[in-house]
Amino acid sequence: MSSVTLSGVEKYYGELRVVHGINLIIELQEFVVLVGPSGCGKSTTLRMIAGLEEISEGTINIENRVVNRVAPKDRDVAMVFQNYALYPHLKVFENIAFGLRIRKEPKEHIEKTVREVSEILGLTPYLDRRPAELSGGQRQRVAMGRAIVRHPKVFLFDEPLSNLDAKLRTQMRAEIKRLHNRLGVTSVYVTHDQVEAMTLADRIVVMNDGIIEQVGTPMELFNNPANMFVAGFIGSPPMNQLDGVITTSATGLHATVGDTSIALPALDNVKAGQAVVVGIRPEHISMSSVDGLSPVPISLDLVEPLGSEALLHATVNGQALIIKAETHGEISHLHQVAEIYAPVDLIKVFDAETGKVLNSAARQS
Amino acid sequence: MLMPAIVWFIIFLYKPMYGLQIAFKDYSIFRGVADSPWTGFEHFETLFSNDQFIRAFWNTIKISALNLLFGFPAPIILALMFNEVINATYKKTAQTIVYLPHFISSVIIAGIVITAFSPSVGIVNTVLGWLGIDPIYFLTKPEWFRPIFVGTGIWQEAGFGSIVFLAAIAGVNPSLYESAVVDGASRWQMMWRITIPSILPTIIIMLIIRIGNVMEVSFELIILLYQPATYETADVVNTFVYRQGLQSGRYDFAAAAGLFNAVVAFVLVMVANTLSRRYSRTSLW
Amino acid sequence: MRKLLLSSAIAAGMVAATPTVAQDHLKIVEGDPLELTVQMNHARYPVYEESWPVEQQAREWTNVHLIDVTVGANMRTDENTGKTEALNLMLASGKIPDIVGSSRIKDFVNQYGPEGAFLPLNDLIDEHAPNLKKFFEEKPEIAAAISAADGKMYYIPYLPDGKYGRAYWIRTDWLDALGLDMPETVEDYEKVLRAFKTQDPNGNGEADEVPYFARQWPELIRLVTLWDGRSSGSDTSHDFMVVDGKIEHPYAGEGYREGIKNLARWYEEGLVDAEIFTRGSSARDFLLSENLGGSTHDWFASTSGYNRLSSDIEGFEFKAMAPPASVSGKRIEEHRRIPIKPDGWAIGGTNKHPVETIKYFDFWFTEEGRRLANFGVEGMHYDMKDGKAIFKQEFLDQGPVNRSLYQVGSQLQGRGYYQDYDYEIQWSNEFALEGIKLYDEGDYLIDQFLGVAFNADEQKIYDRHWGSVRDYMLERQQAWVLGNGDVEAEWDDYQSQLEDLGLSKVIDVMNSAYKRQYGG
Repeated sequence: MSSVTLSGVEKYYGELRVVHGINLIIELQEFVVLVGPSGCGKSTTLRMIAGLEEISEGTINIENRVVNRVAPKDRDVAMVFQNYALYPHLKVFENIAFGLRIRKEPKEHIEKTVREVSEILGLTPYLDRRPAELSGGQRQRVAMGRAIVRHPKVFLFDEPLSNLDAKLRTQMRAEIKRLHNRLGVTSVYVTHDQVEAMTLADRIVVMNDGIIEQVGTPMELFNNPANMFVAGFIGSPPMNQLDGVITTSATGLHATVGDTSIALPALDNVKAGQAVVVGIRPEHISMSSVDGLSPVPISLDLVEPLGSEALLHATVNGQALIIKAETHGEISHLHQVAEIYAPVDLIKVFDAETGKVLNSAARQS
Repeated sequence: MLMPAIVWFIIFLYKPMYGLQIAFKDYSIFRGVADSPWTGFEHFETLFSNDQFIRAFWNTIKISALNLLFGFPAPIILALMFNEVINATYKKTAQTIVYLPHFISSVIIAGIVITAFSPSVGIVNTVLGWLGIDPIYFLTKPEWFRPIFVGTGIWQEAGFGSIVFLAAIAGVNPSLYESAVVDGASRWQMMWRITIPSILPTIIIMLIIRIGNVMEVSFELIILLYQPATYETADVVNTFVYRQGLQSGRYDFAAAAGLFNAVVAFVLVMVANTLSRRYSRTSLW
Repeated sequence: MRKLLLSSAIAAGMVAATPTVAQDHLKIVEGDPLELTVQMNHARYPVYEESWPVEQQAREWTNVHLIDVTVGANMRTDENTGKTEALNLMLASGKIPDIVGSSRIKDFVNQYGPEGAFLPLNDLIDEHAPNLKKFFEEKPEIAAAISAADGKMYYIPYLPDGKYGRAYWIRTDWLDALGLDMPETVEDYEKVLRAFKTQDPNGNGEADEVPYFARQWPELIRLVTLWDGRSSGSDTSHDFMVVDGKIEHPYAGEGYREGIKNLARWYEEGLVDAEIFTRGSSARDFLLSENLGGSTHDWFASTSGYNRLSSDIEGFEFKAMAPPASVSGKRIEEHRRIPIKPDGWAIGGTNKHPVETIKYFDFWFTEEGRRLANFGVEGMHYDMKDGKAIFKQEFLDQGPVNRSLYQVGSQLQGRGYYQDYDYEIQWSNEFALEGIKLYDEGDYLIDQFLGVAFNADEQKIYDRHWGSVRDYMLERQQAWVLGNGDVEAEWDDYQSQLEDLGLSKVIDVMNSAYKRQYGG
């Protein structure tokens, strides 16, 4: 049984269409992350699920019930907001208990549930404080506590970690993941941070300009991006994209990038002279020679050491290229790099016009 | 950069305080403040030995208390009501209508009140007439003066007073409401559990300021509305001083009453501020 | 200075065009004109103008030039404070001009004159002002009335002429319509008012008539005179009165008690406007033009003017009626024009030319000066006919005559002068003149209390008690009339409360001041 189903969901603000027909099925207990640049419609989609925004077209279904006309409180969802939405005048206990009090739950039940939840979140020592007296991470936990305490069918997270510093974010990310594993509640999580998406999601939904670009597990998106947008969004650093033209020769397909030729995997429907974009992930680029591949000459601009790895910023015929290389504790040799090898079966080829991947479906799966 | 402010304070606030000493003098404009002879507390003795002053003092307190009790919540309630109005055109029109009386002079307001409560043509008595009640000459009945006066004050100022609370409400983080909506709060619950607690600091500050003005009952309006027949409930310190002092040019006597007013107001503000700081952690200073 | 010379030249030109003959005997200084600074204002004409034709004529005749240095203006008309606003401002500024003229100047000069702000005038008048001296010798009560507690005069008042102020007015056409006679006694009056209430004289089928109404509610209290009470001893409401050479307060007398009791009955019965205390200054205008009002007690001049309503209301006729005889048969009209106003002018304490200034004041009491103050400039505003000043018709036709006179600098109450009632008769309505004749024949007026000047100790006692006593009196008075209390039942309490509040102390200081001032 699916938990949340979106069918042809659209959102208009007056004439402006911000969500263009979203179709998405979220399974029970699944952790789905909506990711995309700001303004892509991901938050709007989430707020439509929550019931904070009206649905202009299409339907949203939660556990086999169309909720378009159902008030937020009757959808049995809980939401965690970007700025926590804690009530400054209430103590932590009352903040967590708020939803239960509103529903006029019995006092003992409230007491018991809030205690349990704060135990889970490690908030027990802070129950008597006010939000202003808590750290960012603690506030975030209170916000989650407020959601958990109601045992909803679906958790909705609206960029919950974006107000935290990098270190705290990593820590809270793990906590959210653990919490999900423990509680097993269907979760829809919105973020613009692809790292958060990769680490948290069972499935990622990449959105751009109000449409879904691709849905898949993190590794599917990483290995087989459906288009240039996903390729450029997932991965850190993202996939290199070099403009080229198809050439055919006895040795197989090649792409000519300036005066350099890069060997391509077998493709079905391309012809010589077609404009393509050659995609290669920074970590797939090899610096030692590979059998049967001719080297691609590069000119190196900059080496960024990251510790065990280093990023090499280079150009190929004037087009930017980033290489991720192991350092083995030494970076001096990386400054000498003048040519690289692109492993042919890891290369993605995209149609320059449509942006769609040209690698055959069979090879992608 | 501080200089202009300091100069302003000295010229417009501290220098005039020099004149306060006439409360303790037998003041003559011709002789001037410095050359008028000292009389000690004579003016204060005159004040406190006067039963009518004592009555005026308690009337001031009672009218102020009623004003506080009914007049203070009114703009808050109005602001909360405006906050619930969804239709923007309706909201703007309604706001303009309730702001308007603030800009009407007291003389006109008094005229409107006198007409509205007139026993022969007034709307109030007309309505009472439909209900089979004989006309009442409200403005000469001591027991009606305070309700009419306080009601007029609310009608005149509640709208304009709501602006500051509307501004405070506008400052509340909208996601607090969204969160509450998802939690299942009704509009009524949101008002009680979010809006009011969120604007509570503003409410308290406004209350302290209001308490500081307790002695400053809208004196022109009283002068225009009261009658000897209603002195019993209507006469406040300011009107008493006006009749007794200024009408015969007794500035020294008026200054003594004014000083007494200021002292009472100061004490009230101190008390209110201290209580507020202790119990709500909000205070003016 | 250039401006001044220029305007003098213009004035000279104007005067030359009129048939005025040179008046050398009025000249106060020879040679160069003497310039005296003046502060003058009044709520009715807030600004003093050197260019007023009357002022220019006075300059030419006296060779004394008043130079305007007025600070502030009395723009507000509220009693006391509004009328002396500019004076207070002037005194606070520390500069007192040579001549100071204002509304409500009496208490002001009587307080600050002895402190040195204004010059005492008695000796100056004796030695240098024959006309003033003659005037005060003929009217010693006026000299007494304007004197300060130290026995000296500090200002020359504006002295109104003509005796009559207010009168009883009644809708004579209503009387005719109901077949009633002009009421001659208080019983008649009551019957007439009741008939107005119950017999629908305006013929609209509703009992909406308001038998007795008034613009100022003290005019209701005035009716206590019909039961031999009194409402005031002077033209100011609630004032003290003189009975057999002693000061009393009217609101403590038996007649007052009887009057209030009956007025309460009238009020209860609807013979008196139910809204009399709040209807305010528009009462007369509204009730007469709506054909609702029956009778009132108001000024001759302005009330008679309402007969113009006959063009809108069929048969409308509002005439003065003689005061009805009281229960004991007395017919009195309590209100009259006061012979002295607290308005007028004084000489500043730093004036370097007191002799010339008193001569200048005296000039306005000469025959020519008085005519100038009353009628304006001969040939411009009036002509002499048979030894009488007669306004030019075109001047009378310019609009309200009072206003036209202010605009040329005549009839200024900030100037000490003796009014000539002739000026008013010339433009009074026939109904007013008829009424005045009626009142003249009956001789209904009574003597007035002209006020006292306290010394400092008396003033203190008066200040301490009088405000409270007056407030209490008015409170009970209204309560009784409105039926919120019973005058008969409460009278003894009322008397003892007045005693507690200090009425007898106030009466005592009034009496000691009165004795000093008028020789009791």
